Amino acid sequence: MTYPNGKVALADVNVAIPHGDFVFLVGPSGAGKSTFIRLLIREQLPTHGHVRVAGKDLLRLRRGQVPGLRRRIGIVFQDFRLLPNKTVWENVAFALEVTGASGGRVRERVPQLLNLVGLHEHAHHLPTQLSGGEQQRTAIARGLVHDPAILIADEPTGNLDPVTSWEIIQLLIQINQLGTTVLMATHNQEIVNAMRRRVLALENGQMVRDEAAAAYEREY
Amino acid sequence: MAFVRFIGFSIVRAWQGFWRNAMMSLAATATVILMLVLLAALAIVIAGLNSGLEFIEGKVAVTARLADNLPATDRRALIDEVEAYPDVASVEYVSPEEAMGRLRDSYREQGQELDLGGADSTIKLFASLEIAPTDPNASSAIANRLSDSPHVVRILTKQAEYDALLGIINLIRTIGLVAVGLVALTVLFMIINTIRIAVYSRANEIEIMRLVGASDSFIRWPFILEGVLCGLIGAVVTIALVATIWEPIQPVMVSVFQMPTAVSTRFLTTISLLLFAVGLGVGALGSWISVRSYLVASH
Repeated sequence: MTYPNGKVALADVNVAIPHGDFVFLVGPSGAGKSTFIRLLIREQLPTHGHVRVAGKDLLRLRRGQVPGLRRRIGIVFQDFRLLPNKTVWENVAFALEVTGASGGRVRERVPQLLNLVGLHEHAHHLPTQLSGGEQQRTAIARGLVHDPAILIADEPTGNLDPVTSWEIIQLLIQINQLGTTVLMATHNQEIVNAMRRRVLALENGQMVRDEAAAAYEREY
Repeated sequence: MAFVRFIGFSIVRAWQGFWRNAMMSLAATATVILMLVLLAALAIVIAGLNSGLEFIEGKVAVTARLADNLPATDRRALIDEVEAYPDVASVEYVSPEEAMGRLRDSYREQGQELDLGGADSTIKLFASLEIAPTDPNASSAIANRLSDSPHVVRILTKQAEYDALLGIINLIRTIGLVAVGLVALTVLFMIINTIRIAVYSRANEIEIMRLVGASDSFIRWPFILEGVLCGLIGAVVTIALVATIWEPIQPVMVSVFQMPTAVSTRFLTTISLLLFAVGLGVGALGSWISVRSYLVASH
């Protein structure tokens, strides 16, 4: 993947993530983690090679099919990206409303998700009235509204204290156990080391390690 | 059902967007009103002058005053000669008595009685031929030919008035259309800017909409409708204004500009439709341009 300014962000990356997997994506800043994620959600197209997500070749995807792809992928960020003037309920409902869901569907789906992430009691709070962990739970609930096949978490614990980070990881594991593939980009060594899951390590745009049940750093 | 939800969603979001940056939206709406008021004024003036022109066109005739006491045979010969001109549609002889009758009638129309100073008055009008040309512009040529005839004392045409009025109408129409065009450009610019600011102020929402898989139409249409709303509100306000001032204007159109009463009754509807279409059109065009230039989809 080469950017228009000539910078090669990713090269010779060959990875397959099976359905239902839980994968950590690690590497220093600028290693290509963000580009990797942007390719998966078709924010960008690869200059060479192919990207297949949820059975779709993203290069062949027509413009009108992109929203459909995005509904198969949930995404959460380090900075939560909640709408500050909407309540927890409204933030989650928004993702349904803008995709044409009926009022009945919204009233059915939002409570399910708020229960899943444990925020049903905070439904009518604004993001500013929530802790960081609660905000991230809201973002996760929003990411799951369309029951996606894949949940991408880009540094989801980057703004959180260690205890809260663990709560978020527990939630992601729970979601993974319900059948959703989870890809989590992180710098959090402690979590990666404790979890012993598959680790993809990027460095300077190269995939330097793809190892099952691995630690944050190379151990051999 | 899904389409109805989409329309409902877009209208609600457009309405919220309109009031979110109320200053900008109202300023854009004000320029729409300015443009439409100008357009309405222009349309009213042009319609009035056109009616006047049509009225004169119907009357553009060559009036040839005949020599007093012209024998009937000479008169007959002159009429035959004039009727033979290719650019003459009809010729009518008006006797002095008929001329007097018309004068009396026109006084009565104004609610007055013609006063000739008593029943034994010797005042007498002249006999004339009223010649209708096939084309209003042919009246000068007819007049020229007639001026050679010994039986004709004096020739009157309305060519000069007709040309003057036509010139004024064309001038007003040109200046008016240029002015409306310039204001329309300003309006377009205002709407483009308003919608651009709306798009920028909602950048976060747009990004989230993209990420959760909202289709392009869900992202775009609220903004397009927001511009349409500026045009629509502007049109409704202007139509209300014109409807209010139309009542005193209508009699003027009928009496001064000779606009047929039937046309003047329909005119308010016609102009309302025009204002509505132009307001809506400019609003939609401006927001469409804005959405196309500032909502470039980053796939």
